[in-house]
Amino acid sequence: MSSLSILDRERTVAPPGFNRWLVPPAALCIHLCIGEVYAFSVFNLPLTKLIGLTKAGPGDWSLADVGWIFSVAILFLGLASAFSGAWLDRAGPRKAMTVAALCFGGGFIVASFGISLHSLPLVFLGYGVLGGCGLGIGYISPVRTLMTWFPDRPGMATGLAIMGFGGGAMIASPLSVLLMHHFASATDLGVAPTFVTLGIVYAVFMLIGAALVRVPAVNWRPAGYVPAATQSRLVTNNHVEISTAVRTPQFYLLWAVLFLNVTAGIGVISQASPMIQEMFHGTVTPLAAAGFVGLLSLFNMGGRFVWASTSDMIGRKNTYFVFFLLGLLLYASVPSIARLGSVAGFVLAYGIILSMYGGGFATIPAYLKDLFGTRYVGAIHGRLLTAWSAAGVLGPVLVDYIRQYQISSGVDKADAYSVTMYIMAGLLLLGAICNYLVSPVDTRFHESSAAPAE
Amino acid sequence: MQSESSSGQLVLYWAIVIIPLAWGVYHTVINALKLFS
Repeated sequence: MSSLSILDRERTVAPPGFNRWLVPPAALCIHLCIGEVYAFSVFNLPLTKLIGLTKAGPGDWSLADVGWIFSVAILFLGLASAFSGAWLDRAGPRKAMTVAALCFGGGFIVASFGISLHSLPLVFLGYGVLGGCGLGIGYISPVRTLMTWFPDRPGMATGLAIMGFGGGAMIASPLSVLLMHHFASATDLGVAPTFVTLGIVYAVFMLIGAALVRVPAVNWRPAGYVPAATQSRLVTNNHVEISTAVRTPQFYLLWAVLFLNVTAGIGVISQASPMIQEMFHGTVTPLAAAGFVGLLSLFNMGGRFVWASTSDMIGRKNTYFVFFLLGLLLYASVPSIARLGSVAGFVLAYGIILSMYGGGFATIPAYLKDLFGTRYVGAIHGRLLTAWSAAGVLGPVLVDYIRQYQISSGVDKADAYSVTMYIMAGLLLLGAICNYLVSPVDTRFHESSAAPAE
Repeated sequence: MQSESSSGQLVLYWAIVIIPLAWGVYHTVINALKLFS
């Protein structure tokens, strides 16, 4: 068991003079892998043709069945991050990243058995449950680690890691297609060996991240960094313990802020391809729509870094006001832009909306750090990610349901999304109100100074 | 103090993540260009 001690937090403390810019690549090794989940849809169609090969045959899984794999993974992401957050803070990043690598990589391997045996429950168990736990554990730990290395720029640091999550889908999508082509034969679509390969590659890449990661020594500060004597009222140098934090109104307001921001964006992501084709019927082809989806993922990724870095300069609360108010204006104007027939205007509006969707994810850890301090921020962030799970279910359902209702009421397909856009704008207005209500955490919730140092 | 770490180590660590990311972004951009072609 002594060989496992290399995973302990104490063994990851950086020596004096360690360059902190060596740590973001370790965090990115994790996030670039687990971001694969956003590209899981590339497997949807092949998974429905495992028996029929060229088209769905008798006994093949339906698209609706396969769609649940992603939902189960996101659900377990939320559950794992919520329940493992406190352990992650104690165990340190190397142990957490190793567990995440084994869960995520192992999840692919178990799912590959499910594909070979054509057992959907085994795929749910592998990719959904085991892989989802890997996602949740792997998401928080690098973010929290980078925040301790960059107390002078926490937004930029978290933005860097979470940008990797957005970038992971861009790698996974062409890589998965490439591997399926490589392994495909006359009798097999090559999905199971692709899963095995991805499981091994991701586990190795994530373990490299675990090996590279370091935590700063107690009371370490960046050279020349002095915490500002006067700072925003919202920023505290105290710490709020996890069980106390979830009793504060600020926690629930930030939960609502994240939930509403994600709900507004995720619904669009899930419907981006059919939406642009139906709103610009005859102008935008399915191939061009795929390009639109790719462009949105670029904005989604870039927004994570740009907006989170911006929040270091203008503050988290102001950054979220920009997300909600600019998002509201853009959503409200999208139907008019579509009626004018401006594809470029439409793409630009959605690009900015998706940049703010990504920015919301990337800015929330620093917002939590401002309000609750750094000591328990990993665990608190984990609990807050349940908002993502909830939004992941509500967002797509909302867009889909409203569109169906509009079409069944006789509204033209091209106009069926207009009401959805106005509802999204309404959700963002609610988000702006929740953000406005965020105030400093009452000092009675702060941990006593007798508590152990970080 | 931070400059004591070798710049070679810094380049290697960042290359490990930048190369796959650049590959992914390249494929995404190629795909996205089809929107305007």
